Amino acid sequence: MKELLDQISCCIEFGKINNQSPYPPDMKGKDGADELTLKALNEGLNAGDILNMALIKGMEQVGDKFRKNKIFVPQVLMSAKAMGAAMAHLKPFFSSGDVKRKGTCIIGTVQGDLHDIGKNLVAMMVEGNGYEVINLGTDVGADRFLEESEKYPEAVVALSALLTTTMVNMETIVKTLKDKNPGVKVCIGGAPVTQDFCDRISADLYSPDPQGLVEYLNQLHTTNAAN
Amino acid sequence: MNTPGYPSRRDVVRMVLEGKKPPYTPWSFSFTVEAKETLCQHYQSTELDDVLYNHILGLGSDIGFFEPLGNDLYKDVFGVVWDRSVDKDIGNVKEIILSEPDLSDYTFPDPCHPVFFENIKPLCERHPGMFRVFRIGFSLFERAWTLRGMENLMIDFMLHPGFVYDLMEAIASYNISQIRKALEYDIDAVYFGDDWGQQKGLIMGPGAWRDMIRPHLKNMYQTVRDAGKFVMIHSCGDVKELFDDLVETGVDCFNPFQPEVMDVFALMDRYRGTLSFHGGLSTQKTLPYATPGEVRAESEALLEKGKNGSYIFSPAHAVEGDVPLANMLAFIECARKQLR
Repeated sequence: MKELLDQISCCIEFGKINNQSPYPPDMKGKDGADELTLKALNEGLNAGDILNMALIKGMEQVGDKFRKNKIFVPQVLMSAKAMGAAMAHLKPFFSSGDVKRKGTCIIGTVQGDLHDIGKNLVAMMVEGNGYEVINLGTDVGADRFLEESEKYPEAVVALSALLTTTMVNMETIVKTLKDKNPGVKVCIGGAPVTQDFCDRISADLYSPDPQGLVEYLNQLHTTNAAN
Repeated sequence: MNTPGYPSRRDVVRMVLEGKKPPYTPWSFSFTVEAKETLCQHYQSTELDDVLYNHILGLGSDIGFFEPLGNDLYKDVFGVVWDRSVDKDIGNVKEIILSEPDLSDYTFPDPCHPVFFENIKPLCERHPGMFRVFRIGFSLFERAWTLRGMENLMIDFMLHPGFVYDLMEAIASYNISQIRKALEYDIDAVYFGDDWGQQKGLIMGPGAWRDMIRPHLKNMYQTVRDAGKFVMIHSCGDVKELFDDLVETGVDCFNPFQPEVMDVFALMDRYRGTLSFHGGLSTQKTLPYATPGEVRAESEALLEKGKNGSYIFSPAHAVEGDVPLANMLAFIECARKQLR
């Protein structure tokens, strides 16, 4: 059982989607996340164990390596695709409630800003670490974030901006969300964003990389589980 | 018009790019639409190159040529439609032209269409003293993703590396034809815009950059160097790990030189005489948020360092609309007072 879970984890870490995929070259012709996840389920492995002990484990490696500049956007996308292939088999278990996500994260690029590469990478990593992600896209205003936050009051909200001209809109969004729900956690990131700016606008977290947000969400999840 | 007692601006920039010590630190500033409007209003002039005494004359276009389609939509010469309803300067790609990793159904536009070169003569006649730079925006990687889509191209790097190599080669070949035509004019340099960097490291990673991008850069740059002209490039983000490669491929000048992601003073010392830098003044931190006094202090430090050569002073990117007028005037004044 452990060997199979390790194999799946390895497929996520190195972006091996399925048997047909030629990437990575040293795994060519071997089964990928798609076939191995199905095999694990057929062998009676618990869907929750597959998620936690294989998929999330693999994605944690991806986040760590991306943070350390050991892998780059193409490799992260391949891992996200492998994750997607595996998750497709787990979907019925989420729908039935047999497997639960760790929490929900609402994410979007703020109003006036159309950059979405970084935001989508963060979304993929967060999702790959066991969270439901509600990706609102780009050019998202305070009202839209608020609408979604009211639907999911426990969700953490993550804001992205690439430009100094749009970064200022984060302040309005943080204020709007916290005025309505003082307990809501709002995280910010993007090229020009800094810890100083985060402190100034009273956001809860600034992270320069996706893994920082994942770690923060995991921390909240652990604290909530303990309470 | 040049300043009495000094060489022409064209010559000063040449001195810098040749690694010689200039009589002062030259400068050349650019602005986004909103910031430009503020400055034009302040100076009551639309001729900012004259008012600011910019040293670099941009020829051709740094973002390409577009046909307006209405409703804020613009089609570039490659057939890609851009939406400028939010970003007024360039816009966002609305739909992908290459839906599959296959070039066989795609025909590149005519690289020698007169529109690319039509402003060269009139601008050179109007600004005879400025250093003349023919610009090719979105020159390789960026052209590839505008045609194929960023996420698709990233996946192609892994799943279809042969296609990526061919696409880059086709774009470079298109550019080389255009460069050859531009070199028929009395220009000084060719500028290649192509963003490869993130705030930390390269988007595609150094391995993919060296395998898929570098060989084609070398071909484009060599075409310029063979004609005895300078190679100037632009890449946003943290690309400092590439500087040795860039020197080796034939780059003379790197822009925007962002101080938030690289130690600009150390790099000026390290590469003086082999690679020049254009930019360096913080647009992510200083310009929008600092006081005019802080802008002056950072500008003066850069200008002082630049006196040793291999440096052209400028904000590290076109100045955005959130920069207060007083801060714009502060760095402009610092540069200009060198000639008083």
